[in-house]
Parts: sequence; C-alpha cells; structure tokens
Amino acid sequence: MAYSLSLSLLCLGLLCGNGLVSARGSKLFTADPSRGPHFTGCRSREQETFRCWWSAGTFQNLTEPGALRVFYQTKNALSSEWKECPDYTHTVENECYFNKTFTHIWTSYCIQLRSVPQNITYDEACFTVENIVHPDPPIGLNWTLLNVSLSGLHFDILVRWAPPPSADVQTGWMSLVYQVQYRVRNNSQWEMLDLESGTQQSIYGLHTDKEYEVRVRCKMSAFDNFGEFSDSIIVHVAQIASKESTFLTTLVLIFGVIGVVILLILLIFSQQQRLMVIFLPPIPAPKIKGIDPELLKNGKLDQLNSLLSSQDMYKPDFYHEDPWVEFIQLDLDDPAEKNSGSDTQHLLGLSHSDSSRVLNFKSDDDSGRASCYDPETPDPEDLASLLPGHSGRGEQHPLVSRSSSSIPDLGVQQTSEVVETPIQTQPAVPSWVNMDFYAQVSDFTPAGGVVLSPGQLNNSPEKKKEEENEKKKIQLQLLSDGAYTSENMARQLSSDVPPSPSPEQGYQSLPTQAVEGNLWNGEYLVSASDSQTPYLLPEAPPVPILPPVSDYTVVQEVDAQHSLLLNPPSSQPTVCSHSPNKHLPALPTMPMGYLTPDLLGNLTP
Amino acid sequence: MKKTTVLQVCVAFVLCSLQAVIASAVDCPDQETGGTSCTISLEKLLERAAQHAELIYRVSEESKLLFEEMLVSFGGVNLYVPSGTMCAPKTVSMSKSEIQQISDKWILHSVLILIQFWTNPLADLQASLENYENVSSALLNRSKWMSSKLTSLEQGVVVLIRQILGDGGLLLEVPEETSDHAVSSDMLETVRRDYSVLYCFRKDAHKIETFLKLLKCRQIDKENCSFF
Repeated sequence: MAYSLSLSLLCLGLLCGNGLVSARGSKLFTADPSRGPHFTGCRSREQETFRCWWSAGTFQNLTEPGALRVFYQTKNALSSEWKECPDYTHTVENECYFNKTFTHIWTSYCIQLRSVPQNITYDEACFTVENIVHPDPPIGLNWTLLNVSLSGLHFDILVRWAPPPSADVQTGWMSLVYQVQYRVRNNSQWEMLDLESGTQQSIYGLHTDKEYEVRVRCKMSAFDNFGEFSDSIIVHVAQIASKESTFLTTLVLIFGVIGVVILLILLIFSQQQRLMVIFLPPIPAPKIKGIDPELLKNGKLDQLNSLLSSQDMYKPDFYHEDPWVEFIQLDLDDPAEKNSGSDTQHLLGLSHSDSSRVLNFKSDDDSGRASCYDPETPDPEDLASLLPGHSGRGEQHPLVSRSSSSIPDLGVQQTSEVVETPIQTQPAVPSWVNMDFYAQVSDFTPAGGVVLSPGQLNNSPEKKKEEENEKKKIQLQLLSDGAYTSENMARQLSSDVPPSPSPEQGYQSLPTQAVEGNLWNGEYLVSASDSQTPYLLPEAPPVPILPPVSDYTVVQEVDAQHSLLLNPPSSQPTVCSHSPNKHLPALPTMPMGYLTPDLLGNLTP
Repeated sequence: MKKTTVLQVCVAFVLCSLQAVIASAVDCPDQETGGTSCTISLEKLLERAAQHAELIYRVSEESKLLFEEMLVSFGGVNLYVPSGTMCAPKTVSMSKSEIQQISDKWILHSVLILIQFWTNPLADLQASLENYENVSSALLNRSKWMSSKLTSLEQGVVVLIRQILGDGGLLLEVPEETSDHAVSSDMLETVRRDYSVLYCFRKDAHKIETFLKLLKCRQIDKENCSFF
C-alpha cells in the first residue's frame, strides 16, 4: 500500500518537474499551437543521421530564423557542454540536421530549444538515436500469382520487395522487419499480416474478380517505430468461368457418389440379418432321422445305443452279411434241394410243412444283440428249429452250440408241434435252468434231437434209446466263423469221403455212431471234426466208446496244413500225443473261448 | 497489450528455436588444447554469437516492456531514464562511420567489456525482481534467461577473440564495478534502479548485437562490409 503511494507521488513529481519525453517514443511533427515554442519531433531514417524539428507555437514573434536555437548535449561522461545544432537546414524551416559525424549511436542526446537573446529554454528533449529511427519504406514491391483454386474463385499471390536503400541491412547495421497490408480497393479496412523478417510474403485466399491494394512498411526489429508505407500496388486476377463449371460438375458427382455409398451402408445395416442369411447360409447340422443332434453332441452312449438300435439299421439283411449265417445257409441248401426225399429228410422227419416253418428268431426284436442270449427265446427251440428247418433256411441262429440236455426233448416235442408256439416248450424245460450257457452237443437222436455231452445228462432216457437206434449224424455246420475254416475243412466238406478218425491230424475223431462222442472239439471254430461227418450215414459202424471228453479243448499247435492240433485232456493222452508234425513251442494258456486272429498269428509256424 | 503479446510469442518461439543453437556456441572454448582445437568454423561462431546477441536484445526489450506494464498497474508511473551509472557509456561513443572504421579487435574488446559489465547488475536485478508483489513469471523467467545467456555469450566472445585475434588478444582487464550495490530500503529507489538496469541493458544489448553483426559481416563477406 505504501509502495503504491510512493510510486504515485513519484509519478506526480516527475510529471510536474520535468515534462520530459518518455524514452519510448519520439514526438511527431504535430505542433501544438497552444503551447509556446517546442520540439515537434526528431527522427532518424537510417540510424546514421537524424533531424529535429521545432515550432514557435504561439510566440509568433519568434518565427524569424535565428530567433530560436537548438542546443544539444550528449550525455557522455567525457563532456557535458551544450553545443549548438551543427546544421540548420536551409530548405526546411525549423529543422536541425545532425549528420553522420554528430550522430552517436547508443548515446543519449538532450536537445534544448532556446531563445538566445532572452536566454530562455522553452523546450528540452532527451533520447537515444536508435529509439527515434523510422526506416524508409521498402522499395520494389511486386507480386506473382501462386495458384488459383479449383473453383476459380480464389487465388494466392506472392509479394516481394526490397529493403530501403538507405538502411544498411547488409552489414548488419540495421535489422529490419516488414509488415504487409492489403485490402480490397476502395475499402477502408486494411488487412495486416504478421511481421516478416524476409523480403517476401505470400497472401492466400484472395478473391478473383476483385482488385486489391497491397503495401508494406518496415521497422527496426525489437523497436517500435514503423516507417512510412510503400506505394500500394494493385492486384487483380480475372475469373476463369470454364473451370467453375467443371468444378461444379465434379462436385456434384462426388456428392452423388458419397450419397449413394451412405445409402448402401444404411441399407446393409438395416437388412443385416437377411443379407447374412442370403450370402452366408447356415451350414446344415448333421441329422439322423429320429435322432436329436443334441444327443450326439452330449455323447451319452447308452441312450445313443438304444436309439441307434431302434432304428431300422439292423434289418434282417444284416444277418445275410453275417458269415456265420451264410455258412449255414450254404451248406444245407444244396443237399436239401437235391434230395427232397432224401434219407436225411426222412430221418429227420421233415415235412414240407416244416420247411415252411419260419424260424422266428425275432431278429427284428433282437435289439442288435445278435450274439446275445435271449432268455425269452428258449435255446432248445432255436436248436430244434434248426434241426428240422435248417435245410433251406437262410436265417439261423449262429450260436448253434446252445444246447441243453433237454433239447432232444424239445426237439421231439417240437417236431410235432413245430409250427405253433415255441413258447409252449418253455415250461417243459425247467431242467436246464441251472445249466451253463454253453454245452457241447455230443450226438443226435434219430428223431432230430440233440444229445449233449455226457457231463450233462439228459433227463430223457428215451432219447438215448432213440439215439442208439438211429445213427444219424446231422451235420451242423458249426463252422461259425468262416475265417477259421481251413483248407482241409473245405476239402472235406466238398468231398464225400467218409470221415475216418485220423489221430494223426490231431482231430478228435468223430464216432460215426454218435453215442458219446464229441461232436466237435475245442472251440466253435474247430468243428473240423464235424466236417468229417458232413452227412448222415445210414449205417453206423460200431464205434468204440470213447472216454468222456471235456467240453472244450485247447488248441495246442498248428501243423503245416494249418490244422489245429488240439490239446486233449489228461484222460486221453493217446489221442493227440504223437504228433508227427513239428513241435511248436508251447503255446501260452489260451483263454477258454475264442481264438482271436492275433493269437492265431502266434500259432502260425 | 497486443504488441507485448506478439513480442512474447515471438520471443518464446525464438528462444525455443535458438536454444540448441546457442548452447552449442560454447562447445569449443577448450583452453587446454589451445586455439587450434576449435572445430567450429569462424563463420558459424560469428553467426551464433550474432544470433545470440540479437535474441538477448529482444528479450531485454521484452523485459523492459513487462516491467513498465507492471508499474502501470501501480498507477501509471512514467519513469525517466535515471542518471545513474547504468547508462553511462562504457565505451567511447562514436558514429557509424567511426564504428565502421574501427578494427575487429576493438569491436571484440568492446563487446567483451560490455558483457562483463552487465553480468552482475543482471544478477542483482533478478534477485530484486523477486521481491516485487505482482511480478509476472514471464518477467522473472526472462531476467533469468538473460543472465544465463549473457554468460554463454561471454564465453563465445572469448572463443572468438582467441580465434580472430590469437591467443594474445585477450585483455584481462576487468572494468571496475561502479554499479550501485547499496540496497536501499526505499522502494522507489529500488524501482528506479531496476528500471534503469533494464533500460540501459537493453541499449547495450543492442550495441552488442550491432557490433557482432558488423564483425560477422566483415569476417565473412569482406568486400561488401568494408568501409563504405
């Protein structure tokens, strides 16, 4: 607060005391008539000389030359004496000219306007020369056309000029900056551009068909005093009409294209879904009739299996593909057809009606479990149905080995009551409930019944009698799997050579009189013994009673003819003991069951 | 004020653009390796020195204006040029013709003397400006900048002297410090003193700039810049 007060006091003191010129600017020529004699201004054009002017003011009696005189003083430390104006210009009134000699740069000058006779100092001014420099206007102002816009409505120009000749810019004595101004002709407002330190500047955005005025002025850089303006130049560019029309046409085209593109984009976005369906149709998912694709994806195998089996995929044709069935079909068809009234049929007690019997194997209802045991379907029924009806039948149950002790019973019964109800036989077979799934068929009864192995005695001694009476061998092609058929077997099949026990081959010889012999040895596939008795022999030579043999036999080795050498049980060591064939290495314990191909591979010599 | 704004923008831009240029002006004042170690050409050195001086001058002009604006806010103070020792000519005043006739040696020496004279007053000014109540940051920055760049220019001029005048051209006379170091408690005096520093420094900065430009012209283009 006190600070500001002191400053204001200083201000007053200064103003009242001195009335001096501020160091910033210089006074101009405008004379103040109300005042007494005073300086009207001092100017330097090139920082090398300067002039000062004064006016007598109201004191008209001092207008005579010499009445007022100018004294100056340079504020040097060396001298402080007042000297008179070195040169009063004769041509110009009230002008004092300081030439180069008297012009000291960076030196403060003080001038006084005195009336010598009265010794009155009317005015005083102090300054430094560089502060009163007003450069001359630039020269050589001209313009060149840069370009015209596409529409032909606007153009750009480049304006050039030269520094004033009086200013010594080359040596660096003065550094000038320029300012360009332009306006539409006869307009009052000038457009000012930025300060330019070079000697050219471009003006943009001028209108064609309009006249422009351009002028330039300069000043010392970092100083405030502009010089005078240069002479104005006129700029005018005629409008080119043709370009305008072309421009308009292209403009319309461009906007049209842009509009169309925007419409297309909008259309696409609005109809996105439909377009997607049209251009990128959905890929159809895999579909099975009746099956839900979701079920497939979830992968529940039980349901899947049930579903799949319920389809019509497991048709009866499937059984045609089954080689087991095929084999059965092949073998029995021909003799059946050839000997319609053959002994076989007679012995078997076949009737034509039987041939019409259809084996109800319920293949359609089997649910794909072709090899599975169907408890509802009685086994003896299957076998029995096989016996009378297997001739000419294509569809037969592959597992012929299913048998029970009471099968002959059933077989007998069934021969009488074949057509009607297979189910009726069911209550008649309680005896084999406790039996195993598989049992070996040892013999056939004349009536067509099947005699099981002695291990499981059948309950009908009657059957035995019949068996003894009738010696028939019914060839059941137990060659379930054609893959296991050997060449030997095939030969035997085709030939009518009556089988003879050939222990050399390692087979269990089949007794021609089927009493208690193994009908087949080993696994299903063996049945080579069966092949030896393809046909029923009307006469059965007495067959030595063979000791009871086990149901299954292990395949010991394979001889050179690809015959399987069985491993007899310990009770019958004589059967297969000598084998002239080469001894194969001891086989690993075979599983009591199937001989898989890879195991067969091990057996091959 | 419009002019000051324009000047401020201009100075700021120039400061930024010349910062790198000026900084490299003292890249080779290596005294250990002697005068031949400098790898910067004389033209470039002179160019940089001249630009440096011109920029210092512009900033000083800007600072003076800012100071005056600051005083205006106090009540329109119209300060006259004080008659202190600040504005006393440190060298012999001469006209242009005389200046053009003086030798390079004289120019360089004058410049050096001037720079060395103003180093301390500017430092004092900067310290004093911080005591003001409403001093603008622009003014403070400028005063700091001027002090630093003046020191750089001094180093550059020393290099120039060594290059142009040789190793023996450097006078080691330090002019006597005649500035008013007495810190008066009177605020008015402080204001006057600060203003005189700014005003007079501006004048001398212009002088330095002109001298260096003359020298540059002489060294580079001897035909056109010699005596008229």
